[in-house]
Amino acid sequence: MPNSFIVSNYFCLIRSCALTIGFIGFISISTYAQYPGYTSIQDIAVFKKQFAIESSKVMSISCDFSQEKTLTALTEKITSTGKFWFKRNNKLRLEYTKPFVYLIVMNGDKMLVRDNQKENRINVKSSKLFQQVNRIMIDCVQGNILDSKDFTTRVFENRTTFLLEMTPVSKTLREFFKTIVLTVDKKDYSAKSIAMNEPMGDITLIQFEHKKLNEPISDTVFTP
Amino acid sequence: MNRFLIRYLLLSTVALLLSCTSAYRSLKPASVDIACANKMIPSSIATSWYQASIDVAKKHLSGLVLIKNMPDSSQRVVFTSEAGVTFFDFGFKRPGKFMVHSIIKKLNRRPVIKTLQKDFELMLGVPFARGGLQSWKTQEETFFGVIQEKETAYFITDKDCSSLRRLEMGTRQKRKVSIEIKGAGYPSADTLNITHYTFPLKIRLTRFQKNDSSQ
Repeated sequence: MPNSFIVSNYFCLIRSCALTIGFIGFISISTYAQYPGYTSIQDIAVFKKQFAIESSKVMSISCDFSQEKTLTALTEKITSTGKFWFKRNNKLRLEYTKPFVYLIVMNGDKMLVRDNQKENRINVKSSKLFQQVNRIMIDCVQGNILDSKDFTTRVFENRTTFLLEMTPVSKTLREFFKTIVLTVDKKDYSAKSIAMNEPMGDITLIQFEHKKLNEPISDTVFTP
Repeated sequence: MNRFLIRYLLLSTVALLLSCTSAYRSLKPASVDIACANKMIPSSIATSWYQASIDVAKKHLSGLVLIKNMPDSSQRVVFTSEAGVTFFDFGFKRPGKFMVHSIIKKLNRRPVIKTLQKDFELMLGVPFARGGLQSWKTQEETFFGVIQEKETAYFITDKDCSSLRRLEMGTRQKRKVSIEIKGAGYPSADTLNITHYTFPLKIRLTRFQKNDSSQ
């Protein structure tokens, strides 16, 4: 088999993975081994029910976000910022604005990805991987992630925050994430932060700020 | 009618023959202009973040590339997604030591690693640190090259030695890879366009400044 064919194929696989990881990172949860100040929630069933009920009240979200990626071995950090929009059902826009531009729009089965050079329109149905991502995303936003078979989850709490530690079950996800830790505001059950912990020790922490819940968002924001 | 047909066949044959000749056929050996070579040799790239745009076999993907100079004088090239996940982390130490610090399984194939290794080595100027520089000229450009086992690595300047135009890797018969440099040149190149000529792979790296808060 020619090397060029192999190289091309593997880059195509990476393209799918890059998109997958981007979404899972944004929609899911994070993790550390210990969580000072947090206590474990023992009755997960009650929490699951409450989480699903309260999450279902969130019809839309718009907010700013900051993302800090730490390359542990290289003692290097990079911070990026942007805006996030969600509208029930199944509409999402994630826009990095500094220090680089990058956009992901998801609307039902359609997805748009735009970097500083090109824009790609993808039909989620065309790929099993994208379908999986889509399902995880919906589960997270709609509060069903605790039922997901993609992760095993432990839940902790302190006075103001729930902490969901998600450990991937599948080999595919385990290669990218050791754990994903999501913190959720007890006040409105909206995400406060997501930490993605990679097997090699790199960490990406995303924090959501200036959240506006249930305010009208035009459908044009989600035009793929 | 026959005359047109014969002329067409002749032109086609010439065109075919020209396309089969070496990409470097027009190069004329020249003595090495040491001053020019020292001035233009791509010796290193400063620690920088680049936005990467990759086109391969009609597919497109993007990400971020960090080039970092380490305290032990080695260099690291790390590729991550915009959302933060690391795909590979390569180490380069002169004069040609290469190490894969990490790579995801889907990319962990010898042809993929070898291709990326050679691209980044050329970009970091690794072949030119090995010495044995030779020179060739065309009417417009000066080629400085280091002959390796099967291929030659070139850095190419304009004829007046006022700018570094591009880097190339090729065999005697064909050009295999070129790296075009745009905007500020080495060591803080603004844009690096890596083009493969033997299969459809293009990598465009555009430098960006980190936010202050990430310093």
